[in-house]
Amino acid sequence: MSIRKLFIANRAEIALRIVRTAQRMGITTVVPWHARDRFGPALQVANETVELMGDPPVSAWLNPEALIKAALDAGCDAIHPGYGFLSENAEFSRAVTNAGMIFVGPPADVIERMGDKITARNFAAQHGVPVTPSAEEESDPTTFAERAVSIGFPLLIKGTAGGGGKGMHIVREASNLAQAIASSRAESQRYFGDGRLLAERFVEKPRHIEVQVFGDIHGHVIHLGERECSIQRRFQKLIEETPAPMLSADLRERICQAAVTLASAAGYVNAGTVECIVSQTGEFYFLEMNTRLQVEHPVTEMVTGLDLVEWQIRVAQGDVLPLLQEQVQWQGSAIECRILAEDADAGFVPDTGKVLLLQEPQGPGVRFDNGVMQGASIGADFDSMLAKLIVHGANRDLAISRMRQALQETVMLGVTVNSHFLGRVLAHPEFQVGKTDTDFLERNKESLKPIPLTDEDRRALVAVACAASRDPYSTTVQDPHLSMGAWRN
Amino acid sequence: MATFSIHGSDEPVHQARKHSADILVDDKLISVLPISLQSFSVKQSQHPIKIYAVVHGDSVYVQLHGRATRIDRVDPTRANAGANLNGGGISLAPMPGVVVSWLALPGSLVKTGTPLLVIESMKLQMTIEATLDGMLEELPFAEGQTFQRGASLARVCPDSPNGAAV
Repeated sequence: MSIRKLFIANRAEIALRIVRTAQRMGITTVVPWHARDRFGPALQVANETVELMGDPPVSAWLNPEALIKAALDAGCDAIHPGYGFLSENAEFSRAVTNAGMIFVGPPADVIERMGDKITARNFAAQHGVPVTPSAEEESDPTTFAERAVSIGFPLLIKGTAGGGGKGMHIVREASNLAQAIASSRAESQRYFGDGRLLAERFVEKPRHIEVQVFGDIHGHVIHLGERECSIQRRFQKLIEETPAPMLSADLRERICQAAVTLASAAGYVNAGTVECIVSQTGEFYFLEMNTRLQVEHPVTEMVTGLDLVEWQIRVAQGDVLPLLQEQVQWQGSAIECRILAEDADAGFVPDTGKVLLLQEPQGPGVRFDNGVMQGASIGADFDSMLAKLIVHGANRDLAISRMRQALQETVMLGVTVNSHFLGRVLAHPEFQVGKTDTDFLERNKESLKPIPLTDEDRRALVAVACAASRDPYSTTVQDPHLSMGAWRN
Repeated sequence: MATFSIHGSDEPVHQARKHSADILVDDKLISVLPISLQSFSVKQSQHPIKIYAVVHGDSVYVQLHGRATRIDRVDPTRANAGANLNGGGISLAPMPGVVVSWLALPGSLVKTGTPLLVIESMKLQMTIEATLDGMLEELPFAEGQTFQRGASLARVCPDSPNGAAV
C-alpha cells in the first residue's frame, strides 16, 4: 500500500527534512503548527499546514488523539513521528494503525520490546550482546537503593522510558544517591510520564558508538554503519561523525554485527539505532535502542548516499529493504554539529531571543538542515536545537576543515548560538587526532575557552557597531554610499 | 560621540564617532566599508576583515571570524545604575522558565551554596543556590509559576556583621 498523504507529527528542521523526501517521492505533506511556533521553514514548504492547540505549546505535539484527528481531518493515510515527542511511544504507533493509517516507524510491539530500556537490556543480554551491570527499580522498589549500591560506584541513575540525557544522574558516592533518585524520578515523570528507574554501572570516559539498523516486514535486517557521538554535554550529543575515528575494523564489525543480531532477534522493522558505549580498553556494552530516526542520521546519509527517510517510508509501505547488506557502500567521512541556542561559554545555558540575521553556510559537501527562519523568536517553549550542520569529505581531515569553514560562515545573530564553540572543538588537537570520549568537553574545558579579542578586533567591531547604528551623537552623518567612495582596496 | 561596551568583556568601554568617511574609535581612525545591508569590510594592519552586523534597539549584534558578540550603546548618564541594587543577595533568572520546586522556605537562614529552588527552562533543570549567608527573605515565584529572563527568583538578606541587631 503506498502512502499518498503524510502527516508529520513534528516541527522545525526534522519536519522540513521529512517534507523534502516525501515530496520528492510524490507524497503530499501536512505539517502542524502552534500559535507560538507559526513560521518554521517546514510550514513554508509543506503542501498543507494545520493548527494545533495546547498549553504549554509543546503539549500539542504530545497529544496522540489531537494529532491523529488532525491527520485524519486532512485526509492523510500515514503519520511520520520524526524524533522526540511521540516517536518512541508504542501507544501512539498502535493508535495510528488502529485509526487506519500507516505509522512510519516500528510497529507498537517492536517499540514495546526495544524502546523500554529494561526490556531491551534484558533482551540484549539474552542474545549475547554485552550489557553493563545494573539494577531495576521495578523488580523490588524497596531494595532499589541497596541493589544500586551493590553494583558499585560510579553509578548512573536514569529513567527506564527516557532518552536524550533527560533525567540521568551520575552518582559517585552513596551520600548522593537519594537525591539523584528523587531528581531522576521527577524528571522522568515530567518528560516521559513514567517515573520508573534503572541504576547501572557508569563506565568512565567511554566512547559513544551507535549503529544504524534497518529492518523490513519481510524479515530482513541490515546495518548502515556506525556513528560516533562522544562529544556530549549533560548527556546530550553536540557533534556526531562517521566513521568513528580510532575504532578498529574488527571492533567496528563486531559492534555492527551485534546490533544486527539484536535487531533481527527483536523482529525489528523500520529505522532504529543501537547505542553502545566502548570503554577505554575496547569493551563494548549495549546501552539502549532508539526506535526511530535519529537526529544525527544525516552523517550516515552523507557517507552511504542513501535517503533514510525514503527507506522509512518504503519499509512502512511494506516494501523490501532497497539494498542487501553487501550492497551498502560507505565513502569518506561525515560530521554533524548541532547548532543550539545556548551560551556554551556560560555553562551551556539556553538563550532566547530573535533571529535578526540568518545566513546559511554553503559550499562543496555542506548540508544545513535548518529549523528556523530569519525573524523567528526563539523562546523557551521548545528544544534549543535550531539547526544541524553536516559536512562530508573524502577523509576526516577534509571533513573537519570543511566543518570549520562552514561553522565560521554560519550567521545566526540575535540569539546566542554555539557555532563558535563548536568550531573551537573541531580545531582542538585532541579532536583532530580522534581522541574523543564523553569526557572530552569537561577535560578540555580550559583549552576550549575563547581567546580574548585583540585590541584591533575590538576597535573594528565597535567601528562597525557605530557605522551600523543610527548615531544621534555623531558629528557628521554620512550616507553609506558616500563612504564607499573613499574605499581603496 | 557615543559609548559602546562589548558584551561579556571586562575591558573598559569604547568611545566612537563618525569622522567623515571613517569611524574614530578611541582616537584611532578606522575605515569601514559597507558591503551589504548587514556586512561591512574593515581595513586592518594585515588584511581587510568582514564583519556582520545587525542593529536591535540599543544593541548591535556583530560577528567576526564566526564569533558572534553583542555590542551595547551605553548611555553614560545611566552607566552603573542598578549596580548596587543587587547587593549580591538577589538571584536573577538566567533564562525564562518555570519554578519546579522550592527547596527552602522564606524566613529560613541559608548559607552560601544552600539550594533555594529548582527552575526549568528549555527542558533543563537548574538549582538556584544562595549567593551569600543570610536570611531567605522572599521567593517571588511559586511552584509552577513562569518567569522571564532577569526576573528576581530569590532574595537573601545578608547576615549583619558580628550578629549585631539591625
